[in-house]
Amino acid sequence: MQVDVQRVFKSFPHNGQRVDVLHDVSLTVKEGEFVCLLGPTGCGKSTIVHLIAGLEKPDRGSILIDGKPVAGPDPSRVVVFQDAALFPWLTVLGNVEFGLRMTGVPLRQRRARALEYLRLVHLSKFIHAYPHQLSGGMKQRVAIARALTLQPAILLLDEPFAALDAQTRAVLQNELLEIWELARPTILFVTHNVREATGLADRVYVISSRPGRIINTERIDVPRPRHAEDPRLLAHQHKILGLLGDEVEKVLQEELGERVHFPEAQHATPPDRSLGMHI
Amino acid sequence: MIRILRNTVFPPGYSFLRPEAILVFVGLWELAAWLSPGWPSLIHEIFPILRSDFADAGFRQALLGSVRRMVIGYTLVMLLGVGGGVLFGRLPLVDQLLGSFAVAIHAIPGAAWVPLSILWFGMTEQAVIFTILLGAVGIVMVETDTGIREVPPFIRRAAQTMGARGVKYFWFVVVPAAIPKVVNGLRLAWAFGWRALMAGELLTSVGGLGQRLNQVAKTQQLDRLLALMLLISIIGILVDGLIFKRLEHEVRLRWGLT
Repeated sequence: MQVDVQRVFKSFPHNGQRVDVLHDVSLTVKEGEFVCLLGPTGCGKSTIVHLIAGLEKPDRGSILIDGKPVAGPDPSRVVVFQDAALFPWLTVLGNVEFGLRMTGVPLRQRRARALEYLRLVHLSKFIHAYPHQLSGGMKQRVAIARALTLQPAILLLDEPFAALDAQTRAVLQNELLEIWELARPTILFVTHNVREATGLADRVYVISSRPGRIINTERIDVPRPRHAEDPRLLAHQHKILGLLGDEVEKVLQEELGERVHFPEAQHATPPDRSLGMHI
Repeated sequence: MIRILRNTVFPPGYSFLRPEAILVFVGLWELAAWLSPGWPSLIHEIFPILRSDFADAGFRQALLGSVRRMVIGYTLVMLLGVGGGVLFGRLPLVDQLLGSFAVAIHAIPGAAWVPLSILWFGMTEQAVIFTILLGAVGIVMVETDTGIREVPPFIRRAAQTMGARGVKYFWFVVVPAAIPKVVNGLRLAWAFGWRALMAGELLTSVGGLGQRLNQVAKTQQLDRLLALMLLISIIGILVDGLIFKRLEHEVRLRWGLT
């Protein structure tokens, strides 16, 4: 399925006035494509995910799935949230079965399918554990398995690995790519990490700080498996960081209330950093 | 065997009635008894009274009477409290029109319901049960209502994107999400109900521990009065500690709230 976001505006009420979060955003994710949304903290990336998922409605503009407007949430468009958002009262197995239960799949079939996806994310040994007994990385694996059991045509990932340590993140990124190559869902992956975006995506949309606008789209024509030190990736990262340098500065200014200057040389430092992490 | 028993009654990470605290309590009591001649010793006077009380059929009957009224009253509190709370939580109109009643009922202490209960039901068992009901039902309604209405946004979003809606959303998402609040309400309701029971028995003449309090006070038996109060306190602590506080602990642990 193809996702089209066309000239979308969105604002939220805040302290009695409306704050513009998205300003004239248009983007497209083609069927089976892996696209990253990259932007600084608070640029409205998550709002784009919520709009496509049908959890929010745009003020203006339209969200189309294969040409049809989004009417509300639908199990063909599943979200993996940053905080995993597991149901604490259900076991790992119960969580992974949840979506199938809601869509009315009989017990035996949904159990078989849940176990299959739990094997895929290497959690077969933990099916009876409760979320509070799991590490952050394991919770995210459960969240991914829970989303995949619904065999969604569109998988929306909202900074799914942002809270994880570097090693766990790298492992999960590789597993996500393997899963994507198996089933080829359309993927929209939100991140504020430049290296993550260039390492994963076919295409990267670079978004400005609030109100979020698309600054640029960068096609990453590097065959997979990709190597972190591939000079082509580094070139892409360099270019994106150049585009974002001013934006990150804007975020810092807004949050700290003073002017923070980023020297040009900053871009030469290893780009595996999260935008805004200096805050 | 002992360890299994202990882990069942006191699961790991759950603390209840530290032995040191009991020792301090007994120590201070005995110190007071030693310093002031009128104060009965816990070990030499109060405990023997309790032992002989338990040997007395009339006393056991009074205790069982209190327990029976509490069980009936609390069952009604659970049914009406949770039922009413769910109704309020689900139907905004009912909540707006009648929700303030739950709050109003909750604002009146259990003891203050006794005169009205006697007026309506006379000096009967029903009057005491009515007192328990009104003394404790408000908090269950209020907490259940809150729990039903305040499903955490991340839970709501995750459930909606996976196709949960209507009855299934209510049953598999809203109800479990509300459980910590409901359990909290039920725990408080036990404490309020226990107080209301004592007030009700004290002022009616249907028997029970409350009425015994009245009798021993009238005959100025300080040692017996203290023994009874100690027993009332112990029952309160044990039921709360072994059932409600433990339940709350387990729920909070699993729901990731601790």
